[in-house]
Amino acid sequence: MTSLGFLSRELALRIALAARVLPDPNLKQLLAVLSRCTTEQLTDSNVAAIDAATLKTAANGVFANVDDMVLQQVVAILSNTAPEYVLPSVQAYHAGDMPASVTIACATDDAIHVNGHFSTCTWFMVYQVSCDEARLIDIRKAVHKHDALGEDKNVLRAEQIQDCKVLYVISIGGPAAAKVVKLGIHPIKLNEANALTDILTRLQQVLAATPPPWLAKAMGNVASERLTSAWDSVE
Amino acid sequence: MALYIVEADCISCGDCEPVCPTNSITEGAIVFKIDKKTCTECEGDFDIPQCVKVCPIDNCILPIPA
Repeated sequence: MTSLGFLSRELALRIALAARVLPDPNLKQLLAVLSRCTTEQLTDSNVAAIDAATLKTAANGVFANVDDMVLQQVVAILSNTAPEYVLPSVQAYHAGDMPASVTIACATDDAIHVNGHFSTCTWFMVYQVSCDEARLIDIRKAVHKHDALGEDKNVLRAEQIQDCKVLYVISIGGPAAAKVVKLGIHPIKLNEANALTDILTRLQQVLAATPPPWLAKAMGNVASERLTSAWDSVE
Repeated sequence: MALYIVEADCISCGDCEPVCPTNSITEGAIVFKIDKKTCTECEGDFDIPQCVKVCPIDNCILPIPA
């Protein structure tokens, strides 16, 4: 039995939605089963990783008699890939609110992980990140082929995140990457899907230490001057 | 007669290092750097500097002003 800790608002909502799908809607029971499915805390990404087979056998088979299709639906809701998705709420941001910060975009299909391909992902999550704060400032529904009306979809997608300096994706094609770079956005391709929170924490660690010069420049030139002088002394 | 890498723009991707015909590009303490003593701007080897050709960032590799 794992401790429930503090569920995020979105995760709590997803679990409630998932419980309603069950033949005998029992929120308490679902919560108990979920906490048996993982040895760690119930976080958005831990819960999203639970599959139907695990649900069926967990907690001495409470859900053993539940139809597989229903369990699939529960899993889809929990991993936020069902039509009844839950998005986190966006916080207000005004230019200048966060000194020495950088605007980044993450390509995602579930609003939990950076797991999106640039040209097919569902959303771009836009964050303003400084070394001590990461604020979700926008969620942009990425344009799809049918919205593009003959225009280059990838150009439109790149323009959607024009205000960002860094873009995290799971993959991006060469020509699309060129279009992104042309707008001054630095694409970063991850080897595997990572939780959004992990990516933000990792970026914050980089910002708190010595960010690479191009990133320091993207944050405003304060840090890059310091770096340039360090560079001179090395030479 | 040499090129240099603008350190505020270099993203340390390393694409330029293997294409240099004179092996003048190395990874420095912060970003990649070009040895100005050996850089030929690819004259005699190629029509255009190969590092400039492969660099994904515009205006990141520039000629050292005279």
